[in-house]
Amino acid sequence: MPPTNDELIAEAMTEEAPLLPLLHRIHERDGYLSEEALRSVSKGLRIPIADLFGTITFYHHFAREPGGFEAPRVCTGPICCLKGARDLVAELDGATGMPCSGRCDEPIPVIRGSQTFVGLSANQLTVGDTPVPPAKAGDYEECVFANIRHSDRKTIRGYRQTGGYEGLEKAVTSMSPEQLTEMIDQSGLAGRGGAGFPTGRKWKAVADATGGPKTVVCNADEGEPGCFKDRALMDHDPHAVLEGMALACYATGSPRAFLYLRYEYPETEYLLANAISEAEAAGFLGDDVFGTGTKIKIHLRRGAGAYICGEETSLLNSLEGGHPFPRNRPPYPVTHGYEGTPTAVNNVETLASVPPIVLHGPDWYRGLGLGDHAGTKVISLSGDVARPGNYEVPLGLPLSTLIEEWAGGVPDGHTVQAVTMAGLSGGFLAGHDLDVTLDEPSIRAKGSFLGAGGIMVFDDTRDMIEISHMAMEFFAEESCGKCFPCRIGTQRLTERLVGNAGPDNLEQWLDEVSDLNKTMKETSACGLGQAAPLITESLLKYFPQAVQTHVIGD
Amino acid sequence: MSDNTGRTIFLDGEEVPFDGGETIFQVAERHHKDIPTLCYDDRLEAFGGCRLCVVEVEGARTPVASCTTMAEAGMRIRTKSGSLEMHRRVLLEMVVSENREVDVDELSGYASQEMKTLVDRYSARTGRFAGDKSGVSRPDDPNPFILRDYENCISCYRCVRVCAEQEGDYAISIMNRGFETQITTEFGGLLKDSSCTFCGQCIQTCPTGALGDLKALRHVEVEEPIEKTRSVCTYCGVGCALDIMTKGEQVVGIQPAMDGPANEGALCVKGQFAFDFVHHPDRLKTPFIRDDHGQLVPATWDEALDKAAAGLLEAVNEHGRHSLYAIASGRAPNEAGFTMQKFVRAGLGTSYIDNCSRA
Repeated sequence: MPPTNDELIAEAMTEEAPLLPLLHRIHERDGYLSEEALRSVSKGLRIPIADLFGTITFYHHFAREPGGFEAPRVCTGPICCLKGARDLVAELDGATGMPCSGRCDEPIPVIRGSQTFVGLSANQLTVGDTPVPPAKAGDYEECVFANIRHSDRKTIRGYRQTGGYEGLEKAVTSMSPEQLTEMIDQSGLAGRGGAGFPTGRKWKAVADATGGPKTVVCNADEGEPGCFKDRALMDHDPHAVLEGMALACYATGSPRAFLYLRYEYPETEYLLANAISEAEAAGFLGDDVFGTGTKIKIHLRRGAGAYICGEETSLLNSLEGGHPFPRNRPPYPVTHGYEGTPTAVNNVETLASVPPIVLHGPDWYRGLGLGDHAGTKVISLSGDVARPGNYEVPLGLPLSTLIEEWAGGVPDGHTVQAVTMAGLSGGFLAGHDLDVTLDEPSIRAKGSFLGAGGIMVFDDTRDMIEISHMAMEFFAEESCGKCFPCRIGTQRLTERLVGNAGPDNLEQWLDEVSDLNKTMKETSACGLGQAAPLITESLLKYFPQAVQTHVIGD
Repeated sequence: MSDNTGRTIFLDGEEVPFDGGETIFQVAERHHKDIPTLCYDDRLEAFGGCRLCVVEVEGARTPVASCTTMAEAGMRIRTKSGSLEMHRRVLLEMVVSENREVDVDELSGYASQEMKTLVDRYSARTGRFAGDKSGVSRPDDPNPFILRDYENCISCYRCVRVCAEQEGDYAISIMNRGFETQITTEFGGLLKDSSCTFCGQCIQTCPTGALGDLKALRHVEVEEPIEKTRSVCTYCGVGCALDIMTKGEQVVGIQPAMDGPANEGALCVKGQFAFDFVHHPDRLKTPFIRDDHGQLVPATWDEALDKAAAGLLEAVNEHGRHSLYAIASGRAPNEAGFTMQKFVRAGLGTSYIDNCSRA
């Protein structure tokens, strides 16, 4: 007998952040979220039914019709569309598209229930593991990928054999939280999710903030198209992420942590849940970490399909069971985060970098970068390159070295027409601006940013208007609807890139698009609306001829 | 509590003091800066959605929303500049482009002219940014009070917020995302099947007339100008201040007084919508007395009061003073309630007096 609504609700009431796990259990039990079930949840968790209903509709993946949970969802992100994802949607019975699901280094992914299949056509879908990062290409030392290719690394035994949990043990037994924070600050580690805020400073702010209990959140809502690095880290090195979270807890004085995983990584959820159990059983996590009396409880929570939930304040609202609009800042999460408590929200890669830093020291990590740049960055490289995949590069590495030497370059006879930066959020780089090094100062000088490190490569056969259209359509679909410039602007830019609305006079068209770009960049409430116009801005900058042809024809 | 310890900000070059906890918008409003906004209602938590209220703060990379940004000592703020005015015009052109129309009748609701006023102030009827419209209206909702014309909705969510924050009903919410966003009830149903109490506050805070007062809108065709008369609701003793809207001799609608000390813009379904009795043909305009045959016949007030007094005296004489019991109407204001109990205690000599609100 599957559990009843009341049993599931009673169970959820004993947990932290109960709404999402409860909804997922019902979703999987019934295959959809029925009105009856939602009314029970509303009553049990005391959430007004209109609010609960509205919030359910915010997420892409919660089905409200029977059978919806098992219906195939096909990735229609930009890279998968280039591989024929739209045809696959048409080919598969009952299939719908979903935004980039973070597997740009594989054939097209299709999620059915809790399982991911990959393939290029309906009759050749297979189940496969997340690809291991390609063999190290350069002579540079790695940080987070140093041990990831060990086949046993994802088990706690294998992880221990390669130095796992030694950093945590060292910290909790021989360092004060202040010493740990100071060490991370000295290493130069900065947020690898895109914002680049210095990790040590964030932890110190949380530790110094009044109120509690304090909270650590690992942001694993890797929703940026073209980014799939966190998935590789979690699937092949889950304990490194957990150890990083535990170290963050120790440094900030947080007894609890949440790992907020995106919906589109169902297998990762099982893997992480097992890893947490293993670590708790070994005494590395739980009520008595390494026998020191330190309490660190990690809760695993899964999103339901919303790019904006990668924005830290939306994520916190989502965790709390509210409508996932971003919050107004300040106050920042370091003082007013999860349920108003001081909260450190860190990206998966950031946290996975912490254990090696504790073991090898801050100078070691700082020295991994080239020139003045501290440390490394994982780049998710996809599109028209011979060897797409995750590459851990020293910050400051030339982009051309990564594309040409490490990843085998674009197909023979072709050239790089453009690359995206920060997944899609950084817009395009093209022409002479491809001559950059992979670090924020170099890329920001070109009007873009490195961000979470997703780079899609488009060779000279690609239609940049179509690519821009796909990119803007993504932002329009994912715009949360809170602020006017983003909600309306992403829609208007999409329509102009499709060509079904907007002036047919070039000057007026450019005028409208430029005004939308400017106002979105300067007045949008969060990063989504501020970044989306970089697509159109860079399109106008690098491809004026294509734009002219698009608007007025040849 | 005021925490004004000599802290100041510079507002368009002028040094002005501010109180702890004040936002830039609040300080600027006090100094008559007239910063445009569409999502702001000073009774609600600041939301930061429309972005029209952005101002430039020295040292900030981009303009900030003044409604959600706290004033901090030493801030140098510009509330108006070429670039800010450009953004505001573009934002208004954007909302014009998503709606069916800008001009709605004043009878729609208290705030219904806010968008039109700003659109005209910024000359934003340019037709730029044309494209899909955003809202789906609900003409299928048969309720007699609230027009749900979402083709004129700009997703400022003032209705959703007033329903939750002021009324505590949580009857409406936000569905979907981005441009697909809709204002909805539970499962997209009708208002009467939701927890809506038809208080009408959503109507009165709507800045576009997407939500409209259906009872008032019956009188759109009456050509005379709208006159508003401040009064107090007579339905209960709370004393909600309201404005009675008339066209000529005809009461056409009720709007809550935003500055009403007892209600601050709130009304209930009765105060907001139940005014048709005023002009109803069945309404009593003179007292009636039953004649010897038991038939009601019109009478003067003197005749009626004499008859009532005689009846009361008869009862006291026959059965004693405690044979009487009075209930004051909950619709009576405090003063009338006081007079009633005085009359019963001092006049009739009994303490058997109560009020229907207590019953």
